[in-house]
Amino acid sequence: MKTGKKNFTIVSVRTMFFMGAIAAAAAILSLGSCRKDPLNDMTEEESQIYITNRDTTANFSSYTTFSIVDSVAVASNGDTARRALTDYDKQLIAAVKSAMQSRGYTLVDKAAKPNLAINLTRIDETFASTYYDPGYWSGWGGYWDPFYWGYPGLGYYWPSYYTVYTRERAVSVDLLDLQHAAEDKEVKVVWNAMFRGSGVWSTSYISNMVNGAFGQSTYLKK
Amino acid sequence: MKRNIIKLINVRIWILAIAACLAVQAASAQVRPPLSFNFNYSIAQPLGSVKDYSDKTSFRGWQAGLQYMLNDQLGVGLKSGFQDFYYRAPRAVYPTKSGDISAVQTRTLQVIPVLATVQYQFTKPDAIVIPYASLGVGVANMNYEKYWGMFVDKDNSWQFMASPEIGINIPFGKASPLLFNASVQYNYSPYKLAEITNFSTVQGNIGLRWHIN
Repeated sequence: MKTGKKNFTIVSVRTMFFMGAIAAAAAILSLGSCRKDPLNDMTEEESQIYITNRDTTANFSSYTTFSIVDSVAVASNGDTARRALTDYDKQLIAAVKSAMQSRGYTLVDKAAKPNLAINLTRIDETFASTYYDPGYWSGWGGYWDPFYWGYPGLGYYWPSYYTVYTRERAVSVDLLDLQHAAEDKEVKVVWNAMFRGSGVWSTSYISNMVNGAFGQSTYLKK
Repeated sequence: MKRNIIKLINVRIWILAIAACLAVQAASAQVRPPLSFNFNYSIAQPLGSVKDYSDKTSFRGWQAGLQYMLNDQLGVGLKSGFQDFYYRAPRAVYPTKSGDISAVQTRTLQVIPVLATVQYQFTKPDAIVIPYASLGVGVANMNYEKYWGMFVDKDNSWQFMASPEIGINIPFGKASPLLFNASVQYNYSPYKLAEITNFSTVQGNIGLRWHIN
């Protein structure tokens, strides 16, 4: 009788511990799923960021003329250089061109010694596993090199603000100072806009991205 | 004969009365076993710089704990839990050192406290409602993830945390080992990261406490 009662007590305590343990385990398991996933419901537009950087010593109102590349460089997975002129590229060139004009700069041919030059590059590092710096797509022959702008022998000067990233597609707009290139003995990047996120290679976001970048760079005007 | 029966009834009444007294005494000595487990659903409202960072009440949280009653009113224990703060800020321009970044920011913070607790119950355990106050002191794991679009700024660290709490336990029946629990607690941690200058939230809990052994 006594033993029987003891057994009953042990069983019931065990059962209760067991149920408690189940509740605790369920709680721990749900720890991860309790969390709201930030990427789950993110649209392409929401995933995109527009990063602009500038040379803080540059006087943007001192420039008058600019010229822009006639195609877009594609830096793809560490591959050899290639230039492209897809619909996307045409729309990107047009959008940047008109944004510059709306800021008071005059578009001229590259032979007419423009004060500013604009390089456009699409970067595709979706399959590359190593990160790299922007010198990678700028410095190599075949991409936009200073020779294109009539300054053979000069190197680009890349400010330290360039971010390092990996496994993504991006678009870079570089504004180069040609006016002071000869005296500085380098072609300085005075302004850069970088579009990162999903869908940045899709035509539907070009005007958003370009307007965004120029909109947040109010100092960039004649 | 009649007198004897009355005498017998009197004796019986006495025995019953004594037994009842003993039973009450036994009950007040220990209404329910000292070791208890609790599980609660939690809602938390960020305050101060946490509110500036992630201005949205969190409905994703829980809390669990073990407690041992040293006597009728004083208990010690251990508690843990989880709370997820999440806020998506519409597209805005954020200045940087030499430029700006336009982004939709998704600001999240996940908090997992591990606290030692001391609890004082204001009534005896046989009360219908048992109000209490407790203090939890320990550490908390802070998982900070701020998304710029799809790109994340991350940090994971442990930090000191203190949580005073007031609440009520309502037993399901006078000596039931199962109690309904509702409480409000304040959480503080001297956690500093980017825009967060210290961690401070008010948390509401609702759940069950179960005296198991």
